[in-house]
Amino acid sequence: MSRSWIRLLSAATLLAAVPLPALAQAPKSGGALQVVVTPEPPMLMQGLNQNGPTNMIAGNIYESLLRYDEKLQPMPSLAKSWEISPDQTVYTFRLQEGVTWHDGKPFTADDVVFTLDKFLREVHPRWRPIVNGQVKAIEKVDDLTVRVSLKQPFGPFLLSQEVASAPIVPKHVYEGTDYRANPANNTPVGTGPMKFGEWRKGSFVKLVRNESYWDKGRPYLDEMYFQFIPDAAARATAYETGRVDVLTGGAVEIFDVARLAKLPNTCVTTKGWEMFAPHAWVSVNLKNGILGNKQFRKAMMHAIDREFGRDVVWSGYGRIPTGPISSKTKFYSNDGVPTYSYDPKKAKELVAASGYKGEVIRFLGLPYGETWSRWAEAIKQNFEEVGIKMEIVSTDVPGWTQRTSNFDFDLTFNFLYQLGDPATGVARSYVSSNIVKGNPFGNVGQYSNPEVDRLFAEAAVAPAEKRQELYTRVQQILADDLPVLWLLELDFPTVHRCNVKDLVSTAVGINDSAKNVWKQ
Amino acid sequence: MTVLRQFARNRGALIGLAILLAVVAVAMVGPWWFPQSPWRMAGRPFLAPGANERFLLGTDALGRDVAAGLVHGARVSLGIGLVSTAAALLIGVPLGALAGYAGGIVDDLAMRFTELFQTIPSFALAIVLVAILQPSIGSIVLAIALVSWPPVTRLVRGEVLSLRSRDYVLAARTLGQSTTRIVFGVVLPNTVAPIIVMASLMVASAILLESALSFLGLGDPNLMTWGYMIGAGRTRLIDAWWISFFPGLAIFLTVLALNLVGEGLSDALNPRLARER
Amino acid sequence: MLRFLLSRFAKGIVVLLAIAILNFFLIRLAPGDPAVVMAGEAGAADQAFLDQLRTRFGLDRPLVEQLGIYLKGIASLDLGFSYRQNRSVASLIGERLPATLLLTGTAFAISLGLGILFGALAAARAGRPADTLITLGALVFYATPLFWIALMSQIVFSLKLGLVPNVGYETIGAGHTGFARALDIGHHLILPALTLGLFFTALYARMMRASMLETAGADYVRTARAKGVGPAAVTRRHVARNAVLPVVTLAGLQAGQIVGGAVLTETVFAWPGIGRLMFEALAQRDYQVLLGVFFVSSAMVVGFNILTDLVYRLVDPRIEAGA
Repeated sequence: MSRSWIRLLSAATLLAAVPLPALAQAPKSGGALQVVVTPEPPMLMQGLNQNGPTNMIAGNIYESLLRYDEKLQPMPSLAKSWEISPDQTVYTFRLQEGVTWHDGKPFTADDVVFTLDKFLREVHPRWRPIVNGQVKAIEKVDDLTVRVSLKQPFGPFLLSQEVASAPIVPKHVYEGTDYRANPANNTPVGTGPMKFGEWRKGSFVKLVRNESYWDKGRPYLDEMYFQFIPDAAARATAYETGRVDVLTGGAVEIFDVARLAKLPNTCVTTKGWEMFAPHAWVSVNLKNGILGNKQFRKAMMHAIDREFGRDVVWSGYGRIPTGPISSKTKFYSNDGVPTYSYDPKKAKELVAASGYKGEVIRFLGLPYGETWSRWAEAIKQNFEEVGIKMEIVSTDVPGWTQRTSNFDFDLTFNFLYQLGDPATGVARSYVSSNIVKGNPFGNVGQYSNPEVDRLFAEAAVAPAEKRQELYTRVQQILADDLPVLWLLELDFPTVHRCNVKDLVSTAVGINDSAKNVWKQ
Repeated sequence: MTVLRQFARNRGALIGLAILLAVVAVAMVGPWWFPQSPWRMAGRPFLAPGANERFLLGTDALGRDVAAGLVHGARVSLGIGLVSTAAALLIGVPLGALAGYAGGIVDDLAMRFTELFQTIPSFALAIVLVAILQPSIGSIVLAIALVSWPPVTRLVRGEVLSLRSRDYVLAARTLGQSTTRIVFGVVLPNTVAPIIVMASLMVASAILLESALSFLGLGDPNLMTWGYMIGAGRTRLIDAWWISFFPGLAIFLTVLALNLVGEGLSDALNPRLARER
Repeated sequence: MLRFLLSRFAKGIVVLLAIAILNFFLIRLAPGDPAVVMAGEAGAADQAFLDQLRTRFGLDRPLVEQLGIYLKGIASLDLGFSYRQNRSVASLIGERLPATLLLTGTAFAISLGLGILFGALAAARAGRPADTLITLGALVFYATPLFWIALMSQIVFSLKLGLVPNVGYETIGAGHTGFARALDIGHHLILPALTLGLFFTALYARMMRASMLETAGADYVRTARAKGVGPAAVTRRHVARNAVLPVVTLAGLQAGQIVGGAVLTETVFAWPGIGRLMFEALAQRDYQVLLGVFFVSSAMVVGFNILTDLVYRLVDPRIEAGA
């Protein structure tokens, strides 16, 4: 081969190797983004309410110390940089300079200390256990430096600074007031790229560009509108008729996604849920008769056609899990973990061996839309085929929450966010210390295994290297004990017009600020 | 006899009766026609009508036979309509009779109580009742009955009020018959005709109400009803119209038939009006 | 007349009070409370968190005491406070009421107007093709579920034909003001108002037709005819006018049904009215808001009833004859 050929070839390879960003266009400023969220949130003060829609809107108004990329690696947000002491107990955050609140007041370390130590400690149900259980002190070092000292190393600490888990609120607005009654809750003040504009109840929330945003040049959008359309089918047609640009995950029934994806200029992504990694299962009340029998639980697991659930009910979205930890979450392992295939014959044998006498099992439906209803009906048929009698009990959201948190069910669906780390998102469903009424996301099946308790407790505070070993062991034990029946690692695809660029760029997707989003 | 002849002269009423009898027949033979459970996932999901001869009306999102659902649903939908109407009559008729016959303060109290239920927007009340009691066949029937009895009370009260001073009632009273016997033995039998007319219309609106509740997700999840089928299929209207179209048609035809029959009866029982036709 | 009005108002207030008490206890029978709902939304909860919320919402006090507080509020026209939304119930309802009044008012006007028109037409042409057509059409819309018509009209007129918007109250982000905004809202109103109105149009048309035929057989009409008044004049002057009365009365009684029907219509068409507010408040156990909506919508019905009573008394031919 001649030399010139080689040169040409290498030039071609070079061309092909040009990194994508150079080819991508520069973001364009301007325009309004129309987004559907559902249901309408009760308020936009993110510290006081962590409803899904609240997060999707308020994630643009408030900011936290950190953001996370799709691999769950921390990125700067209000914290410009951070250091961790060698013994992993002291975290020092250096804050961005020149940040102001939407009301013009400067943002300082005092706001961070007030938020983490006072405000969220009192009102945030997810931050409270962390700050009360793991944190020794939160101090201001200087105006732009905050130091958090832990009682012991706590693996997931760095993941706890996501905007819905720890939104920074203005001290000058809230200090010394009754937080929940503060009139400012209706006109939220944050540091984020978008400012609160208007809330037309029953119709929409309007956010406007924060002209003095600290990250110069951003955001690109002038306005964002979050529309409230209560009917799922109407949300889909609203997209089809061009009324909205973005359907957030779960805004339309999953089977509508496939249909909408075929429309021109329509993109679908399942990214932006890595932090949450929603894990769906059937909670089993182990105290109710036959359900405490491990053989019977194995029978149920073999009876349920999980592939059918994924392919038909969830239109092919999601992955079938092997155990309690999602494959998207840290420390996932299937090493030595028992698996359960769809096997009605084996299920029948196990049912017979378990001593089941035909008692009716009540399945409390999850009132989150058609997909969940169809799934319960499919499982009921699966059970019928192997001789298990099941009756679906229907309820609304408050009814479900009440009954689940009071252990008033035999079986029910549940799906929990894993929050990036088994210590925060997984352990809570299986440790015996979490068998407390009042919390639908606790250990509602009342599973109790001292070995599992010990492993989870050790793993949370073990040095990073040791944690994998402990969590692998936990996954092996739980997959054999079957305290719950894992069904699916859920995907909630986001549907949007393809000319909306960089819509999802972090591990919390739409829940993060739209500071990088632009319209072509 | 004249009533029957009058009814038979009304073409609409006869068509209605024919449809109604057909629906009842389907409901009766349903389990023999489709012995399998309508919930069984019998085939491939989303088969269009006629795509497979086993499923004449197609299959739904889980591969369940729409035809089987329709046939089994006829039983439940008609049943809910009949039982809730019966329950509403059970509240409405005695209360109306009491109010009309006793008069005075009893009448006033009964009518205030009726007014109370007529003032609360009925569909909203039904929604709240079902949500509170949790959706099940019992709570749905109760809710429908509780929102549909007031017109019955008003009707019966009016009839009783006008009957109470008739000669044969006065005669019964002078003969010393007990009030209960007079009301149930003499007065009420004379109000049966308008009650039957009203009941046929109530069955129709009960079926509509049940379907509206199902549409909002407040149906009984263990019962295959037409309302459930529409609710479950409505999000697929654009790409799988048959899932909710056929049950919608079934509701439409049944309600239409009940109305035609009710109207025919009303005309037949009220000959003066019919003459004007 | 004044005495009649006063007694009607007094009765109305008693009914409203009874409704308030009934609803108060009814709603408390439901499983779950606002604290549980908020805990569920936060994705985590503990007893301390729940207790904190319940104390704040006043849910830890005895039920009778809560009722007392509620009734005392109502007496001073205070509908309470939604802790969930951190707003007074009156302001929440106030924001939504205009949309509902617009929707139900339009639907009511359309259905009464068209219903009376078609009903009268059908009766005047009784037995002829026009009558058959109208009667059949009325029956069809009377027998079709409201939500079914709503879904179909969305698909046909909005999605396929692109004639009207499928959801919402106005074009969001368009920045219309003044007349342009009114026009925009009107454009959005067409589909929901027609959908909600169709059933009642059918109902009133059927009632009007029956009422016309009945009146046509009444003695005074026979008398008029016997006196040699022409058939068109009889229909117009005597029959139609008298036949309208029972229709209007019944329409007044049906006001509650229109308000109830608004729950479904507003949900399907994303119309920002109080029907939807009620449904959402129920789903969140926002007790005060739910009670408030029931109170206001019941008050609307009472108001409608008084109004129709008044109209009836003003135009009732018997009263006129006596005067």
